[in-house]
Amino acid sequence: MTLPRIARAAAAAALALAAALACPVPAFAAKSDDTLVVALQRGITSVDYLYTTKREYIILSLLTDDGLTEVDPETLEVRPLAARSWKAVDDKTIDVTIRDDVKFHDGSPLTADDVVYTYEWVLNPKSRANRSRQFGEWLASVQKTGPSTVRFHMKYPFPLALHSMGMSMPLRKKGTYDDIAKTGALPLGQSLNGIGPYRVVSVEPGRKTVIERFDGYYKDSPKGRPAIKRIVFREIPDWGTQQAELMSGGVQWAYDVPYDIASALGGAGPVEFVNGPSLRVGFIVLDAAGVSGKDNPLTKLAVRRALNHAIDREAIVKNIVKGDARVIDSACHPAQFGCAQDVMKYPYDPARARALLKEAGYPDGFSFDLWAYREKDSAEAIAADLAKVGVKANLRYVPLATLDQARKKHQIQSYFGSWESGSVPDTAAIADVHWSATTDRNMSGDPEVTADMIGAQRIADPAKRKALYEKGLKRIAEQAYWVPLYTFSLNYLVAGDLAFNPPKDGLPRLYLTRWK
Amino acid sequence: MLRYALRRAMLALAVGFTVSLATFFLLNFATDPAQALAGEDATPEVVAQIREQYGFDKPLPVQYARWLGGLARGDFGESYHWRSPVGALIASHAPVTIRLALMAIAITIVVAIPLGAIAALRPDSFIDRMALGVAVGAQAIPGFWLALVLIIVFAVKFPIFPVSGDSTWRHFVLPAIVLGAGSVPAVMRLTRSGLLEVLASDYIRTARAKGFRGLRLLTRHAMRNAMVPVVSVLAVQLGAKLGGSVIVESVFALNGLGRLALQSILGGDVPTVQMLVFVFAMTFVVLTFLADLLGAWLDPRVRLG
Repeated sequence: MTLPRIARAAAAAALALAAALACPVPAFAAKSDDTLVVALQRGITSVDYLYTTKREYIILSLLTDDGLTEVDPETLEVRPLAARSWKAVDDKTIDVTIRDDVKFHDGSPLTADDVVYTYEWVLNPKSRANRSRQFGEWLASVQKTGPSTVRFHMKYPFPLALHSMGMSMPLRKKGTYDDIAKTGALPLGQSLNGIGPYRVVSVEPGRKTVIERFDGYYKDSPKGRPAIKRIVFREIPDWGTQQAELMSGGVQWAYDVPYDIASALGGAGPVEFVNGPSLRVGFIVLDAAGVSGKDNPLTKLAVRRALNHAIDREAIVKNIVKGDARVIDSACHPAQFGCAQDVMKYPYDPARARALLKEAGYPDGFSFDLWAYREKDSAEAIAADLAKVGVKANLRYVPLATLDQARKKHQIQSYFGSWESGSVPDTAAIADVHWSATTDRNMSGDPEVTADMIGAQRIADPAKRKALYEKGLKRIAEQAYWVPLYTFSLNYLVAGDLAFNPPKDGLPRLYLTRWK
Repeated sequence: MLRYALRRAMLALAVGFTVSLATFFLLNFATDPAQALAGEDATPEVVAQIREQYGFDKPLPVQYARWLGGLARGDFGESYHWRSPVGALIASHAPVTIRLALMAIAITIVVAIPLGAIAALRPDSFIDRMALGVAVGAQAIPGFWLALVLIIVFAVKFPIFPVSGDSTWRHFVLPAIVLGAGSVPAVMRLTRSGLLEVLASDYIRTARAKGFRGLRLLTRHAMRNAMVPVVSVLAVQLGAKLGGSVIVESVFALNGLGRLALQSILGGDVPTVQMLVFVFAMTFVVLTFLADLLGAWLDPRVRLG
């Protein structure tokens, strides 16, 4: 091949490339074809929420599934959804009447048999459903009492029963899992016959999941009829790429975006920064019981109180966490039922902290390990605040699994923890995990606190529960078992032509979005 | 030749066993698969249930022996995260990575070899300095940064290519440039030094005396000998691209093996990570073997065995 021939061939190739590039870039359309594209850092691998736990799946499940109840996004109260009503027969029995106009995505009606089947399937340990043990803890059995009525028998009065029926138990058609019941395998979760306002159209794990408005959805559902026809969940792991997609119009909604990225991009061109609350709270757990060693300074009340006074939480919220975050004084989220706010408070007061340390026998401070697995910036700011009063916090920033293992072995003097409560607006959702007598997260060694905080989730009377939580939370604050830090906020990036209101419980309900 | 192939096969087995053992224990020491599968906010009951269901509560040697036994029976295991057979999972993700790697290596060849050749033909000239500058620049620029710059310029400001995804050939252009750019310096400099050495040899002087000049001299006489080390490097680079495109695949949201590896590591998906590391290691072994064969073909003086 001579040089002129090479040049001609190169020119032809260049022309062909230019022609190909002149074609429009394929993209997911937005408002023009009524399709909302959502960016997720972690993708959807299964659309069956009975077999998943992570947050992305809750967001999807709220669209494709309905339970018997749901949490009203405005009041955070539980209200009927696929159930028409419920009635407490006694403290341990609830009768639920099912609506007669609910249809599965395959067109078949929801019946009492389906409800009983779903609950019995989950209660059966062989189902390997992720919430088998959780439900088995409090639910004894479910029984059909009529064509559209079922009775729930609880092992003990469980105040979160109605909440769990909504947020944790999507309903399934009787026989859905017959095949896997024979083999013992896990369902692949690549298709779904749910009763939610959207039906699953396609699942491409690692790429995208497409759902479409279900025309047979019951008309007067509390969720309402969704305004947007189609939603595409795209897996885009990199924040920078998500930003670029938002700027180029390839994506219209992204959530849990780091504050700095969200605030920098929001307002730039077609993207808005929306900030909203989350039920996640941050706190430091102190080894008051001395499980990590009896000579631990944190076993002394004055020391624990000194640490509470030494940390400038307002400054951390203002300068690091930002957004909708707020300082907390109680060991729960203020929006949760029973989260008493009238507890002992520890305003930022380094002088008082130093005096308390002196009183405890540490006039020159001391050194201790502070473990953390997230919120590194905050943990470093906390260590810097403590250093100002002479306390050296050795920051041990490790993966969550490492922290868990060290805590199990009682090697941890203190750790920076956070808990989202599964978006359950009830103190029980944080108390159960942190204050039971058996959990290694409870480093108070205080049976009184355990009795109050765990006892409150085994009685039905709301007033009595509130009183118990108040007593327990007051004691936690007085004894300074924790350093309660702050609530978190959630940052969303939203296309300018999309109307989206941030939810109070941090659980985005995309069926409420609409085009402007 | 047969003995050589057998020895390489035994080596491959040893490499496979060692990497699988190291991967298994490192992964289990570094993470708690049950917690990773359940997610950060899962209750202890859910984590305990998952630990029991998947057998994470069994001693590590027992878990490893079970995996090894499955492998011996041709059962690569089932992904915890994706809930599908690992073999099928890798097969479904491989085409994206192979396509990306081949495009990247093509870009490397198209850019690096001509640049190296030009630099060798005019050593210490302005062109040579320019080529060296390109090589140093490409080596110094981090891939993720180059990726974001290309996205901003060619997908946001001037929407010629899509930002992310892998549904059309256009989706592969920017990631292939980023991935290919990383190999340009090594290949370009090796081409240059190889050619400089060959161009100074006696047979080239003879060819010049016979009237061969410029491109003909280069392509007909010098290139074949100068390419022997380049082929070896290209094989290693291709292996690296087939197994190491984690960042590029993540930035451009390409659903290939690199991203599968990252997701599996983050998700504590031990069977998938183990099999991926095994596949990556075998890819290297096979590619270096093929490079040796190709080297022997290009230069008959090279003998295998």
